[in-house]
Amino acid sequence: MTPLLQQFLSEARDFLQGISEKLMQLEHAPDDAALMGELFRLVHTLKGNCGLFDFPEMLRVLHVAEDLMAVVRDGDLAYSQTLADRLLDAMDFVSLLLDEIEVSGASSASHASASATLAQSLRELISAPAGSTVVPGALSFTVADATATLPLAVVPEALRMAWYREAHSTKAAPLLWVTYTPEAECFFKGEDPFFQARQTPAIGWQRVTARQPWSPLPDLDAYHCILKFELVSTASRAVLEEHFRYVADQITIVTILPHWLVLPVGDENGGPVYEDFVGAALTQLARGDLVVLARAARSMLELSSAELWLASALRWLLLLIEQEPANEATLRAVIESLRTFEVPALQAPIIEDVTLVAAVVTATPPAASPAAPSAAPSAAPQSDITTSVLVESAINAQLTVLRMPDQVAWLPGRLKSVASTLTACFRSTGRPDILPALDAALAASLAQARSAPLLDWLVQHLNQSGADSVSSPPPPPLPSPDAVPSAALPVTSVAEPALLVAESETRFPRRTEDSAISSKTLKVDQEKIDRLMNLIGEMVVAKNGLPYLAARAETVFGVRELSREIKTQYSVINRIAEEMQSAIMQVRMMPVSFVFQRFPRLVRDLSRKLGKEVNLVLEGEETEADKNIIEALADPLIHIVRNSLDHGIELPEVRRAAGKPAEGQLVIRASQEAGRVIIDISDDGKGIDPAVVKRKAYEKGIIDEVVLERISDQDAVNLVFAAGFSTVDVVSDLSGRGVGMDVVRAAVEQVNGTVTLESQPGQGTRLRLSLPLSIAVTNVMIIESNGQIFGVPMDMVVETVRVPRKSIHAIKSFQTAVLRGRVVPLRSLNELLATDASQRSNEEDELATLVIRLHGEHVGIVVDDFRGVVDIILKPMGGILGCLSGYTGSALLGDGSVLMVLNLKELL
Amino acid sequence: MPIRYKKNSAVFDAIVSVEEAEDLLQWRQKNPKGKVDFSACTHLHAANLQVLMAAPLMVSAWPQDERLKTWLTAALRS
Repeated sequence: MTPLLQQFLSEARDFLQGISEKLMQLEHAPDDAALMGELFRLVHTLKGNCGLFDFPEMLRVLHVAEDLMAVVRDGDLAYSQTLADRLLDAMDFVSLLLDEIEVSGASSASHASASATLAQSLRELISAPAGSTVVPGALSFTVADATATLPLAVVPEALRMAWYREAHSTKAAPLLWVTYTPEAECFFKGEDPFFQARQTPAIGWQRVTARQPWSPLPDLDAYHCILKFELVSTASRAVLEEHFRYVADQITIVTILPHWLVLPVGDENGGPVYEDFVGAALTQLARGDLVVLARAARSMLELSSAELWLASALRWLLLLIEQEPANEATLRAVIESLRTFEVPALQAPIIEDVTLVAAVVTATPPAASPAAPSAAPSAAPQSDITTSVLVESAINAQLTVLRMPDQVAWLPGRLKSVASTLTACFRSTGRPDILPALDAALAASLAQARSAPLLDWLVQHLNQSGADSVSSPPPPPLPSPDAVPSAALPVTSVAEPALLVAESETRFPRRTEDSAISSKTLKVDQEKIDRLMNLIGEMVVAKNGLPYLAARAETVFGVRELSREIKTQYSVINRIAEEMQSAIMQVRMMPVSFVFQRFPRLVRDLSRKLGKEVNLVLEGEETEADKNIIEALADPLIHIVRNSLDHGIELPEVRRAAGKPAEGQLVIRASQEAGRVIIDISDDGKGIDPAVVKRKAYEKGIIDEVVLERISDQDAVNLVFAAGFSTVDVVSDLSGRGVGMDVVRAAVEQVNGTVTLESQPGQGTRLRLSLPLSIAVTNVMIIESNGQIFGVPMDMVVETVRVPRKSIHAIKSFQTAVLRGRVVPLRSLNELLATDASQRSNEEDELATLVIRLHGEHVGIVVDDFRGVVDIILKPMGGILGCLSGYTGSALLGDGSVLMVLNLKELL
Repeated sequence: MPIRYKKNSAVFDAIVSVEEAEDLLQWRQKNPKGKVDFSACTHLHAANLQVLMAAPLMVSAWPQDERLKTWLTAALRS
């Protein structure tokens, strides 16, 4: 698992948490635009992050969720309970996928249909006019299509008959009808729907049609896909879902029930004239004289043309007699159809698979669940088993919801949602008569703020209707008990529901029920780490007090033995404290890849936009530095990369003309050097022309004429760091606003870093950022001046020298000295701090001088004495003291004294 | 050339990619009585299939690959 993926997983969980919190809050304040905006942002970011990986199922759901949130945010759709429910469902689904990805590293294709369903249910909300209530039956859509609307008649009769026979043989795989409707723009996405369809496993029959009439050839757009693929496969649903996982929203998979295949087709030959035959056949059937019936049908078949509807129906009749002689109702229906030329209405599935039946019966005894009988469509307009099963599962879900604890703020919303679901269920099963009772129960529940009244009513109702349907005679379409082996009756009505229930069980579990997957990563608030850091800082200070104590024991109290013991103890504590400090620092360390990983995309997008060809090379991504440093690095680096692409690297034709490869090279390299992180950004572009920079700087008033004459090329190049500098006259959306490089420098200096720039015109530019590994601990040199001690950051210090007073010369108003062959200006610290005392010299009349580097120049600071170097935890000054720009901060020393650390950049 | 256009026929090569669809459509408009030869074809991109379906032509040779042939007959003869 890549670090990127790990980060995604951990962030995604936070986002999910945030999304559900926002949804909950919105329940109380549905009109809060700020909350809505926040919610949209969360969903949007989560989707964006998800797009980095190959999780089509997750992306699909999030994409629609984002669309939905956009519509809601723009006020085109009002926030509603249904919306929140579905979004929460979607987020639960995402959470499930995250769990799976965490365990296995990938999300499996088996979620494709659930994903498509969820996406569909969210999309419905977008298209549905505001306020309309859609029955919340998330999974209804695939199955709802399943009713015999399939154009099975186009499948050749012989094939259907073969499938029918097959279906009655043992262990036949269920037939699945796949409709694949590629989206119109799919050719532009590099998809080949035909190839996709051809590769479908176990195809039994297929056809390709157009979704709409073909436009005349001159108007035809060859790249606007209007194809529709339909095929029948014997592969399992899971295999098909895997195969079509990237286009799961464009396919529907429907299980073909065997009785759907019984579909006579053919020429009707003017109308039904077979009254005699039908009458005789029905009599024979009633007598159970199937042999005679079969013989009559066969001779009738011989007399008729094979193309006729009649012939087709007779062939089916013969097949049915052969396959299921006991199923009188079906036979009767087929015979009746000869009279009407209507497709025989065979509602009851004709399954005689004994093994399946047995398994189903033991698994779900019909009386086990009180809700089951209510689902029996005794009063339904038609015994649509798929609907009843869905209704049953929906009602069961509502029972579960009602049994949840009541002590939640959103109880009223929950009760209403349960009631609206139940209303829809009862309406669809043809029981609108009981709705008033339901409303009454809801009102009672709302009034008492308890689920109990509604729950009681529902349980009571279920028991009652269960009793009703047990006492009522079996529904007419089912075969009468005396004609059919007694086991078949309960079985047939249960077998099919069981199959469908099994399908609906692929539903993901609710998030609240998840078994928590323990994570090895702890997410800790940065404040807590900072607190640890502060504590260890204090510990270091306290520890540093021990040597003082040891010295006092020896000098003041004269106990040398004790002094030595204190020192031993000190070394132990010192070791532990140092280890602790580095361990805490380690916690705060992050690899620079955190910043680097966004560059490939940035460079790609920018180079596309600018029409340039750029090869980005990243090196040393594993280099680590403190979190603050890494974060401080992000913005400057983006500026630099943008500058390189915009100003540095030339257009391909310009590069070719200059004899360079058309593709520019941008190298970003991170490394660690002497306790600092060095980041080199170099390109092989046109470099910076000092002449242009000078002229521009002069035009913008950054330098005056005198400087313009005198400035060296290197210094001129460094003028790009000046505030307000820009070499381009036109402000583009990339750069030219003059806030580039000075911002970079300021940001880097903020964390005690430095920027250096080298450029060769025509050869390229190289920027080097040097940053401390950590800003938590600062290495300072302690100096003494006017009886006080001060700290100076070590990274500025070049050397310490003692300059004899006589070798100091005055040039104009400045004191200077020649050190190592160069003239160094000297400034007295007392003077800088505006104290009256003069600097003290030592016995040889030498002045202690601290040579520091400032913006590439050496400056000598004259002080009274040097003390040594210590590691301190620098605390920025707060309150009124914070306004003193001459100090970067203060630190506590081991002996309890306060050390002020000077900000020489400001003082000089 | 994935599709070789002869005087009165278009001969499909082994794999005909998506780029060919535009040319095929133009050729089809100029040669309403042209014939299509799939004998060497093992796959054609859906865009090409779509062009052929929009205005079916006489097929002078079906592909060797039985399954492709099944698909093509299902698409072009209906």
